[in-house]
Amino acid sequence: MSDIHLKNLVKSYGENIAVAGIDLHIRQGEFFSLLGPSGCGKSTTLRMIAGFIRPTVGQILIGSDDVTRLPPEKRDIGIVFQNYAIFPHMNVADNIAFGLKLRKKSHEDIDRAVAFALRQVGLVGYENRYQRQLSGGEQQRVALARVLVTEPRILLLDEPLSALDKALREEMKYWIKDLQKSLGITTVYVTHDQDEALTMSDRVGVMQKARVEQVGTPQEIYERPKTLFVTTFIGQSNVIDVTVRGRQGERLSVDFGDSTVLTRAPVAEVSVGSAAKLVIRPENVIIGAAGAGLSATVVSETYQGALVRYRLSVAGQEIVAERQNQAHLARFSPGEVVGVSWDPDRSEALVA
Amino acid sequence: MAATTTTGTADEGTGMRRIGLFRTVSAGPAFWWLVLPAFLFFLVFFVVPTVSLFALAFNKSAAGVISLSSAVTFDNFLRIFTRSIYYESILRSIGIAGAVSFICLVFGYPLAYVIAKTTNPGRNTLLMILVLSSMQLDMVIRLYGLMVLLGDNGLINAMLLRFGIISAALPLMYNVFGVIVGLVQITLPFMILSLIGVIKSIHPSLEEAARSLGASRAKAFFSVVLPLSMPGVLAGTLLVFALAISSYVVPALMGGWKVMVMPIHIYQQVAETGRWQFGAAIAVVLFLTSLMAIAVYHRAAMRTTGGRS
Repeated sequence: MSDIHLKNLVKSYGENIAVAGIDLHIRQGEFFSLLGPSGCGKSTTLRMIAGFIRPTVGQILIGSDDVTRLPPEKRDIGIVFQNYAIFPHMNVADNIAFGLKLRKKSHEDIDRAVAFALRQVGLVGYENRYQRQLSGGEQQRVALARVLVTEPRILLLDEPLSALDKALREEMKYWIKDLQKSLGITTVYVTHDQDEALTMSDRVGVMQKARVEQVGTPQEIYERPKTLFVTTFIGQSNVIDVTVRGRQGERLSVDFGDSTVLTRAPVAEVSVGSAAKLVIRPENVIIGAAGAGLSATVVSETYQGALVRYRLSVAGQEIVAERQNQAHLARFSPGEVVGVSWDPDRSEALVA
Repeated sequence: MAATTTTGTADEGTGMRRIGLFRTVSAGPAFWWLVLPAFLFFLVFFVVPTVSLFALAFNKSAAGVISLSSAVTFDNFLRIFTRSIYYESILRSIGIAGAVSFICLVFGYPLAYVIAKTTNPGRNTLLMILVLSSMQLDMVIRLYGLMVLLGDNGLINAMLLRFGIISAALPLMYNVFGVIVGLVQITLPFMILSLIGVIKSIHPSLEEAARSLGASRAKAFFSVVLPLSMPGVLAGTLLVFALAISSYVVPALMGGWKVMVMPIHIYQQVAETGRWQFGAAIAVVLFLTSLMAIAVYHRAAMRTTGGRS
């Protein structure tokens, strides 16, 4: 088990840049997700760590070993593919034994390891089945067992849940996370699904356009997004055009229509009078009686079961608010004038 | 691989099964009408003439007589299996066709692999054109081209003589060597086309999975790609074998009537001596030989791949 260092990792195909200089330290035992839309370079990054793609520039270290120029078979990694890549001409036992046979282990050792791995992934009795006789979830378990018996230093998962149906995906999410935790294996998980990334990861790297935009814990990524892209890609946000009025320590005051509101200040310097984006999650928008906070008009109300969603018009801009659907909370109807406010610590100012 | 898939439940999303290819066939009786034209053509222009030719083999051999008689005799077959000139030609035909299949496989597989793995569309098209272009010219024309190259006064011999590497022309034609070169040239595209499709259908992640588990490039190829491409190997070799063993034109031109394979005998009997019955008997033997060789090979291949082609 090891940590992973990516140093100025670049991959270009002619003029096409797939990965534009990534510096990343993935800690030992950590569950690290690379999250981003398709084409953002997350899979290319994973495939460079695996050794299937040779980086144009940069360095990859697993532990203290520079593996940049090593072929995949010498990197001591385990990878699970989106389609699981179960060898269709071998049964489950032979699939799992594949890596051990290459390591010239004895028959007894292999049998023992295969039996152990099958118990680990809950597939005892599946030894003689073939890929075509396995469901997607079972194939995934076999793929994981096949990787884990070789005791790799790092585990790479390439969108392993995207081919499963929703219910199974929920189940596997927690199962994989628990397995990873109990093994303590350094894991890089590639996904375009923010929900998976937030639920499973210790830390998330959000990627866009060949770059890592932000690295942080799920909470940091969700609550303190550093860029507009991160804000809009993860969860939903109201993005409001405001003008910077001044900084007061940790707070920034901004002009929103005729009013001045407070928000958390960005780390970067901002000049007074410049345009900025005020970012608030719908669940952090507080709706109250008219007069409390900014004056707003209810545009629409959408019932969503556990939540009620309001579209509000505030100083010519639209704000979406979500409220728990609870008996003691009042409901508002379209056309009603209400007051809108939020906790300044639950909003961000991003300089465009 | 699972060719006849059942329902979609287990297949969804794996992207690796060939789903639906056979599912539509059972869509209803109306579909069978679509088969009718081809079936009728096949019946009238293949089954009827072939069966009547084969029936002729059981009539007494008589020059110039083509009409069927009800007097059944096995004399023609007896003659084939008692005269060395005929039964040796059976072995020669099998040997040459087997050699051609093997050579085509050895030459064709690497090329098919490269074409299947090339992702660059331009390069892929170029390679395909290369393979298919040889099929655009008539076989006879291509063989004449080969004769220009391989003849006693051909390019190769002329060159070697000129530079004093040899003192007398090498026998490159009108022998088994020439026939094999000709047959390989004709049948190689069939082998390559059979292989490309199968190799393409092997998902690249299977090879990558093998690599990540510790297999070298070669090991991954031999333990994953090659076994999974066995259906293509089987189809390609059988196709080439059938084409090679039944070829008349190639042994005629490249062998100069000196390499006596079964189709040459058939031609001689029918066209030169007019003994259709004996020619038909050789044709029956050729047909059965080919079928038997295919059956034996198929069984052997199935055994080596664990019956999972």
